[in-house]
Amino acid sequence: MSQQTPEIYSVELSGTKDIVKTDKGDGKKYRGLKNNCLERKKKNHKEEFQKELHLDDHKLSNRELEKKYGTDIITGLSSTRAAELLARDGPNSLTPPKQTPEIVKFLKQMVGGFSVLLWVGAFLCWIAFGIEYSSNKSASLNNVYLGSVLVLVVIFTGIFAYYQEAKSTNIMSSFKKMIPQQALVIRDSEKKSIPSEQLVVGDIVEVKGGDQIPADIRVLSSQGCRVDNSSLTGESEPQPRSSEFTHENPLETKNICFYSTTCLEGTITGMVINTGDRTIIGHIASLASGVGNEKTPIAIEIEHFVHIVAGVAVSIGILFFIIAVSMNYRVLDSIIFLIGIIVANVPEGLLATVTVTLSLTAKRMAKKNCLVKNLEAVETLGSTSIICSDKTGTLTQNRMTVAHLWFDNQIFVADTSENHSNQVFDQSSRTWASLSKIITLCNRAEFKPGQENVPIMKKAVIGDASETALLKFSEVILGDVMEIRKRNRKVAEIPFNSTNKFQLSIHETDDPHDKRFLMVMKGAPERILEKCSTIMINGEEHPLDESTAKAFHTAYMELGGLGERVLGFCHLYLPAHEFPETYKFDTDAMNFPTSNLCFVGLLSMIDPPRSTVPDAVTKCRSAGIKVIMVTGDHPITAKAIAKSVGIISANSETVEDIARRLSIAVEQVNKWDAKAAVVTGMELKDMSSEQVDEILANYQEIVFARTSPQQKLIIVEGCQRQDAVVAVTGDGVNDSPALKKADIGVAMGIAGSDAAKNAADMVLLDDNFASIVTGVEEGRLIFDNLKKTIAYTLTKNIAELCPFLIYIIVGLPLPIGTITILFIDLGTDITRYQRAYLEWTGYTAFFVGILVQQIADLIIRKTRRNSVFQQGLFRNKVIWVGIASQIVIGLVLSYGLGSVTALSFTMLRAQYWFVAVPHAILIWVYDEVRKLFIRLYPGSWWDKNMYY
Amino acid sequence: MTKNEKKSLNQSLAEWKLFIYNPTTGEFLGRTAKSWGLILLFYLVFYGFLAALFSFTMWVMLQTLNDEVPKYRDQIPSPGLMVFPKPVTALEYTFSRSDPTSYAGYIEDLKKFLKPYTLEEQKNLTVCPDGALFEQKGPVYVACQFPISLLQACSGMNDPDFGYSQGNPCILVKMNRIIGLKPEGVPRIDCVLKNEDIPNVAVYPHNGMIDLKYFPYYGKKLHVGYLQPLVAVQVSFAPNNTGKEVTVECKIDGSANLKSQDDRDKFLGRVTFKITARA
Repeated sequence: MSQQTPEIYSVELSGTKDIVKTDKGDGKKYRGLKNNCLERKKKNHKEEFQKELHLDDHKLSNRELEKKYGTDIITGLSSTRAAELLARDGPNSLTPPKQTPEIVKFLKQMVGGFSVLLWVGAFLCWIAFGIEYSSNKSASLNNVYLGSVLVLVVIFTGIFAYYQEAKSTNIMSSFKKMIPQQALVIRDSEKKSIPSEQLVVGDIVEVKGGDQIPADIRVLSSQGCRVDNSSLTGESEPQPRSSEFTHENPLETKNICFYSTTCLEGTITGMVINTGDRTIIGHIASLASGVGNEKTPIAIEIEHFVHIVAGVAVSIGILFFIIAVSMNYRVLDSIIFLIGIIVANVPEGLLATVTVTLSLTAKRMAKKNCLVKNLEAVETLGSTSIICSDKTGTLTQNRMTVAHLWFDNQIFVADTSENHSNQVFDQSSRTWASLSKIITLCNRAEFKPGQENVPIMKKAVIGDASETALLKFSEVILGDVMEIRKRNRKVAEIPFNSTNKFQLSIHETDDPHDKRFLMVMKGAPERILEKCSTIMINGEEHPLDESTAKAFHTAYMELGGLGERVLGFCHLYLPAHEFPETYKFDTDAMNFPTSNLCFVGLLSMIDPPRSTVPDAVTKCRSAGIKVIMVTGDHPITAKAIAKSVGIISANSETVEDIARRLSIAVEQVNKWDAKAAVVTGMELKDMSSEQVDEILANYQEIVFARTSPQQKLIIVEGCQRQDAVVAVTGDGVNDSPALKKADIGVAMGIAGSDAAKNAADMVLLDDNFASIVTGVEEGRLIFDNLKKTIAYTLTKNIAELCPFLIYIIVGLPLPIGTITILFIDLGTDITRYQRAYLEWTGYTAFFVGILVQQIADLIIRKTRRNSVFQQGLFRNKVIWVGIASQIVIGLVLSYGLGSVTALSFTMLRAQYWFVAVPHAILIWVYDEVRKLFIRLYPGSWWDKNMYY
Repeated sequence: MTKNEKKSLNQSLAEWKLFIYNPTTGEFLGRTAKSWGLILLFYLVFYGFLAALFSFTMWVMLQTLNDEVPKYRDQIPSPGLMVFPKPVTALEYTFSRSDPTSYAGYIEDLKKFLKPYTLEEQKNLTVCPDGALFEQKGPVYVACQFPISLLQACSGMNDPDFGYSQGNPCILVKMNRIIGLKPEGVPRIDCVLKNEDIPNVAVYPHNGMIDLKYFPYYGKKLHVGYLQPLVAVQVSFAPNNTGKEVTVECKIDGSANLKSQDDRDKFLGRVTFKITARA
């Protein structure tokens, strides 16, 4: 284990190099400037990083250290010296990622994407008014109003989007822990507790089990200390720490503890050698800011759309400008036409629609435990094609759970679902009675008090993961464990340690007539078996012979092969005559037998998959999303979980599986015969990026095991080279580069570090993989909906533009023209008011015409590909509410406000409402035909050009 | 930094060039020649169809129309009033008795307007019975004579200057033609001076009467040669009253179905104009 870690670290460095290399290559092709800066930034980081690694404090002796940092191991720094250093180095905390000033964020909302188009439109309006005003002082203010409306739209949607973003940022900041960390430090020969921000280099600190390491520390002395480096490496296996110098590489030597990791047990006294941003974690965190954010697909789509709209507007505008000039319009008038056409093409409502749609979806997702930090991320999630997911906590429940039992020569399956509700294995056997007793008694874990009303599975426990699992397991099956323990009073105990590899305790029995002591033991199965001479089968003790030993091994291998952690259990009733009630057990002298015990059974535990995950994975698959598991865990465990959640499907094999099935060497198997691959960090580090590409491209089902979080970045980049839109989950601090690099970074709300949450676009509040899938569903929906919205808006624009164009060419205000034909032209004279009234009728009729057409358009835009009949016309009730309200507004404008002449609307003859209906039906029929051809000939010219 | 920016500019220029014409794929503006051909063909057909559809719809609509009578007449139930000669600016006449060029335009306009009313032009028209609606069954509709002499001093027969040279300018008031309009009662045009202190106003024919025989009107095509009944207003400025400005308000009176009071429409059954006589 500890030998494998070194290489993983060295990968990190070359990994960084890789990024730079690949970026260089890409930059030439299509990225350009951004990457040059990026590259330089990265180089800086790398240099610093390497400097960091020249750190040799781990090689120095205590004396040399004292000299180097001007401190004293016994008395610590003096307060004055500490204050000096604090002033020089700054507080011991990570500089938070540079906050964009609020006003910049706000302005960004005002000028991004569509807004530019609207701004340009507004200014053009004002320019047009200026031109008109300069030639004619009584120019109408219409253009000024229109310009102002456009600006108002931009400002309001900007405020709205800003408010949305600020809201989610607020939720984010509430994650941050408010309680300052304390550190126990020796200064002026006194032990004091100070806020860990005030630590300085050379401080002597004491850390005990459960504390966070307050800075990078060189261990001076330790007692049974083990640390959890998972926030740094993703490896959750506890690692021992002592004062010995064990490795050249400071990242691998045992005598250095890193900032933000946790001391699990034991105590350390150490000297602070790095604080704040100069710590290893500080460097990694700053690395994240060097990785560029990718443009989201919707941003690209919007940009594309803005280009199209601007292109169409400008070209139609210029075309008609030329027509107008050649028709002898005044040049100034022609310029006003030009501007009018351009402005008419600006989709005023689209910006608001997009923002509202995105934020509504973000809200809906928040309800489903997806917190979206960046609105556009919602949509990106929808176009995701690869999800790189963590295992622990995301795919799994992040708690050890009893999965299998082996006793009476049989393997039983335990229920591993979230609530353990139905344990179906045979509990009538007397062996089970003995086994359950051992499980209950040989266990130091306890429920924290005061949780009577909490469901068993949710109760907080003091104790390590496996003991917790056993405690909960027995509590569910047997009932009140504490009560059982009370009845079987514990008289002696040897806790688990890594040399013994077993745990033992001696109890009085709860049978008042049985004065014997019961010794119960659990531990590594092979070690337990060594100590046994008999085995219990159906409650009877049988001598342990070849065949039973073989059965044991088969079971052990099978459970181990499932990636489960297996424990063996045995017991011994100590004969009453040798160990009377008053016997004093001495655990140091071991004055009791620890061999010739009776083997009772095996029990295996796993961190089981969340019950919703297999469904979610299936959904991803059917949606064409590849799910890749990236974990620091052992390949076997990783593969087992991958199989159980469907990341590796039931009938696909890895190269190793094929080799085993055909009984040939792994090398002889044709690599590409396998559908699935389990790649370890070791293998990954030796691969060139081409080889990584090959693996990503050729295997459908991939599990990366034993990887460091740094390698995640390599994997993400590999995926992006396949033109995939990659979603990455992560929780550790050094996941943040990968989260940033990914098209969408998903941080874990519960297990995630602040750095990860900061770098992510989305936070899963329940750490559940299934929530990502919900997000993908919503995102896909929104992508579709946005496309529909864009198409809908554009349709209206063209229709509204037509009269204007015809006005230029024919010199006839079209909407008035057609209507007036009905009234006049036959020598009927009318008064000016009667003429105005006609004009209003024209406007109203035109308005009604557009209204009817938009209803058809709305129905058409319900689907992008399917026929309205396939989709069902009445499934979306809201659409009908929309249509109804549209009609009502039309009616009110036409009939309700008959006296408000300023609106230029007037009572309309009832039949005018139906003039546009045949045309509406016609465009609907046309669109149905268009969609039919798209469905009939996918991939054809028609599909490519006519699919919006 | 500047170096980087320059590079990016070059790069984006190159990208643009590639977008405009890509020699490797032969793409022009993102499409190959064939692709452009197809898409242009499609849109040619598409818009051709739309244009045909538009023409067809227009044709269908025109089929519903009657060449002789407008389809809808409900929006103009009551006629408006208008004055002649057409004033240069909004209903204001300015002239100087001593300067013939100041009113030459008005006289020209009046003469032109009264051209159809000359005896020569009217000789084919029917003499209709006075005082009653002249309803006709068709298919041939005849028009009634409007003897221009009814306008007396403003007929232009005796005074080719229509009174302008004497400082007594004539203004003709006409009622808009409305097909099928049948005035009730005894319609007349009543003109009053807003500031009636000095000048006098005379209305011809007598009392501003409009004879019912000119109604109903059957439309331009059917009712060939139709002449609207006219009413002339003559304002008399005293010779010493120079620089005088009067406002005249004329409105239809004496008929229940001809409205002359509408809050919004200032021309419905009435007209107000201003005359300024300079020295």
